[in-house]
Amino acid sequence: MPENQQPRIGVYICHCGGNISGAVQCESVAKALKGLPNVTITRTDESMCSDAGQSLIEKDIQELGINRVVVGACAPMLHEQTFRGAVTRAGLNPFLYHHVGLREQDSWVHGHDKTAATDKALRLMSAGVAKARLLQPLDPIRLGAEKHALVIGGGVAGLRAALDIARQGLRVTLIEKSPFLGGRMAQLETVFPTEEEARALLHDLIQKVTAHPNVTIFMGAEVMGVSGYVGNFTIQVKQHSRGVSDDNAEALMSACTQEVPDPFNYGLTKRKVIYRPYEGCYSSTPAVDWDHYDGRPFDVNGWPIELKDEPKSFELNVGAVVVATGFDPYTPPQGEYGFGELPQVVTLPQLIRHLALSKDGKSLQWNGRAVRDVALIHCVGSRQVDGVHQPQEDGQVNNYCSRVCCTASLHMTADLHKRYPELNIYDLHQDIRTYGRGHEEYYRHALEDGVRFLRYNGEEVPEVSPAPQGDSHPVLVKVKDMLTYGEEIEIPVDLVVLAVGFMPRDLHGLDKMLKISRGNDRFLLEVHPKLRPVETAVKGVILAGSAQGPMNIQESLSAASAAAAKVASLLGRGKVELPPFVAAVDVEKCNGTGACVEACVYEGAIALQTFNENGEEVKRAVITPANCVGCGACVAVCPNNAVNVQGWTLAQYEAMVEAIGMDLPAMTEVTA
Amino acid sequence: MSQSQQPKILILGTLSGGYAGADSTGQSHLDYPPNTYILPVMSPVMFPPEFYLRAFEHGMDGIIVMYSGTDSPYKVEADGTAKLINRAYQLMKERGMDIRRLRLAAICTVCVKPFLKEVNQMNDLLEGIGFVKDEIAAHASAIVTQEAAHG
Ligand SMILES: Cc1cc2nc3c(=O)[nH]c(=O)nc-3n(C[C@H](O)[C@H](O)[C@H](O)COP(=O)(O)OP(=O)(O)OC[C@H]3O[C@@H](n4cnc5c(N)ncnc54)[C@H](O)[C@@H]3O)c2cc1C
Ligand code: SF4
Repeated sequence: MPENQQPRIGVYICHCGGNISGAVQCESVAKALKGLPNVTITRTDESMCSDAGQSLIEKDIQELGINRVVVGACAPMLHEQTFRGAVTRAGLNPFLYHHVGLREQDSWVHGHDKTAATDKALRLMSAGVAKARLLQPLDPIRLGAEKHALVIGGGVAGLRAALDIARQGLRVTLIEKSPFLGGRMAQLETVFPTEEEARALLHDLIQKVTAHPNVTIFMGAEVMGVSGYVGNFTIQVKQHSRGVSDDNAEALMSACTQEVPDPFNYGLTKRKVIYRPYEGCYSSTPAVDWDHYDGRPFDVNGWPIELKDEPKSFELNVGAVVVATGFDPYTPPQGEYGFGELPQVVTLPQLIRHLALSKDGKSLQWNGRAVRDVALIHCVGSRQVDGVHQPQEDGQVNNYCSRVCCTASLHMTADLHKRYPELNIYDLHQDIRTYGRGHEEYYRHALEDGVRFLRYNGEEVPEVSPAPQGDSHPVLVKVKDMLTYGEEIEIPVDLVVLAVGFMPRDLHGLDKMLKISRGNDRFLLEVHPKLRPVETAVKGVILAGSAQGPMNIQESLSAASAAAAKVASLLGRGKVELPPFVAAVDVEKCNGTGACVEACVYEGAIALQTFNENGEEVKRAVITPANCVGCGACVAVCPNNAVNVQGWTLAQYEAMVEAIGMDLPAMTEVTA
Repeated sequence: MSQSQQPKILILGTLSGGYAGADSTGQSHLDYPPNTYILPVMSPVMFPPEFYLRAFEHGMDGIIVMYSGTDSPYKVEADGTAKLINRAYQLMKERGMDIRRLRLAAICTVCVKPFLKEVNQMNDLLEGIGFVKDEIAAHASAIVTQEAAHG
């Protein structure tokens, strides 16, 4: 095996069609590196990523016995895989390759000082060579995988993900916490930008999912525990009883007298504790609201019938988990813009439900009165400013934009204008962020419809107060309007609508069970927003939809399809292959202190095991690669440096740092 | 001026944070001092405090750890790295080193301005306080003088 012989390093520096060579004297760098120990050949090329450039490497491996390769080129995220491929084609282990970024981190930022850019390239390349000397062949981690995925959440994202996975020939189990499918989309009427009926679209999707033979659905179910790793997760599930069956549902529903505020209508109406959220819901069998049912028996034809939740617990073995747990609309605290204090202040989701429940009439009715003037306030619970807004429970304000609410608000103004042309609508915004295809149309229509736009500054939000007695309107909105250079404007209105944003959902420990992180905004966090947008740092746990951040339906669906594609590519072959960048223990150096085990927070990643060495019982750390994320928390605490992350060892870093600090003899010549 | 006469700044940038932030800065073609050497890391929680001391000994005059902070995909990164850096500060103090030479900064993949701010601040600092080797030598000679005085 050439890889086990003395390192024979091939070094390649890319001109990148002048992008690098415009600032870095590539030939001089190549010449200086030639003198380094173990460097067999150095070359430069106009474009290393071209077929010709890659062939150079392949040829050198085959003809010169090169067994370590260093390429200095554009950012590793762009072409690291390309060159690993070239190295593999030539018969070398792909991890005997190291990539140095010379474009984004050198030539593009130091073009004004070519000498300094060249010196920097030389030091970075020299560090690459130092690392290459210590590279070892590594094997990807290969694990058998269940061809079965779990989708958590039966909103539009979870449903789409389940259908796409099922269509790839994999088994899917979908778990929905509530007794009904559909999530927040079921609470919408027509949706932007297509003006289709939300529930018609949803039902079409639900029909396809429920009809698919690869899909099993558990409603009223929750995840109680997670163990294992990608390809082999064990999931503990608890499913609550539905409480009624098709046979007795109608009788029980008519006998039921206990009523609670209806969350489907955001508390605007009441419903029984045996309920269907809306006509045509799935499942059509009603369910008991166990959180609110007071336990009193129902009188059915003179027979007292007491209902009991008898939850079932069971286990699932799945290869991957899609988290599609969605969002909650922001609920303003009591008093924010008069919410909870003035009956004329509602949220946008509430108004959507109110309109859905209202009969068509000449005027919009609220609280028994005709509404003549309505003010819509944007960014409620979003784009909050420290010191201006009341922080959330964790002490932070929601400084993110909820993205959907601008178009949702203008969609609402269009609907209001269509239904009640006489209504005066005031739109109080910071910015209008109608960013998607077809969304800006709503803004244009609103202008044409005579909606009056006022722009406030996020640090001086509008004030909502009861109007003085005897006023024509019950509420007064005061706003400092930036469109009229800060003029203080008072608007008497009958109704104030708060365009509330998206809140990350409380997952009651599910994120902890899955060991996935949240971002600063508290939504679930992907590994990288551009490069790995639906993966989490836990292999095999994938995100879909608005659990990850504010998304409209179209974006939730795209994310769900991306998640499904990721699951299919992970599990499709029945085995998973993962990068080998996980911890590895050098048993020669390990003396079983256990510090590594204490430092690791990933269950089952590292453990002490007892071995017999020359008749003596000794403890040694053992890694389970599938559970290790490669963070290296164990590396820092090992007194003997007996544990390292493969491909990123401390020795490699020290060699790189030493190389950066060292002045090569040829360096003065190169940079003089 | 040749870079060998400039203080050197080592940047340990996480793939999901600082390293990608530096790439974003490059994509914007925004200049910053060239005496900066960025090494990609999975997570800086792997570096023991002694690693930083050895890096200073190898001629790094300033080190910026650009991690992903609380946005890290790794659960231990935020707290764990801060603890390790605090221990490194202790060791630096014992050696008479200015602890401002080592900085922990949360940099995201698109944090171009914060990236530039961190690099420029460290560069300005090093222009003021100079090479680490001089600081270590001054401390060593102070100890020798002290011992001689007491001896
Ligand atoms: C006022 C308003 C108006 C909107 N109007 C539009 C519009 O016109 N057009 C448009 O494109 N978008 C619109 N949207 C956005 C749209 O609602 C979302 O894009 C969509 O609902 C996101 O779907 P989801 O599946 O990601 O999340 P959700 O709809 O929240 O579904 C998540 C599901 O997961 C379940 N769940 C949660 N936790 C668990 C758990 N631990 N275990 C099991 N299940 C769990 C929930 O019960 C829920 O069923 C609007 C949003 C708002 C707030
Ligand atoms: S989408 Fe519009 S209303 Fe919603 S937070 Fe962003 S700017 Fe504010």
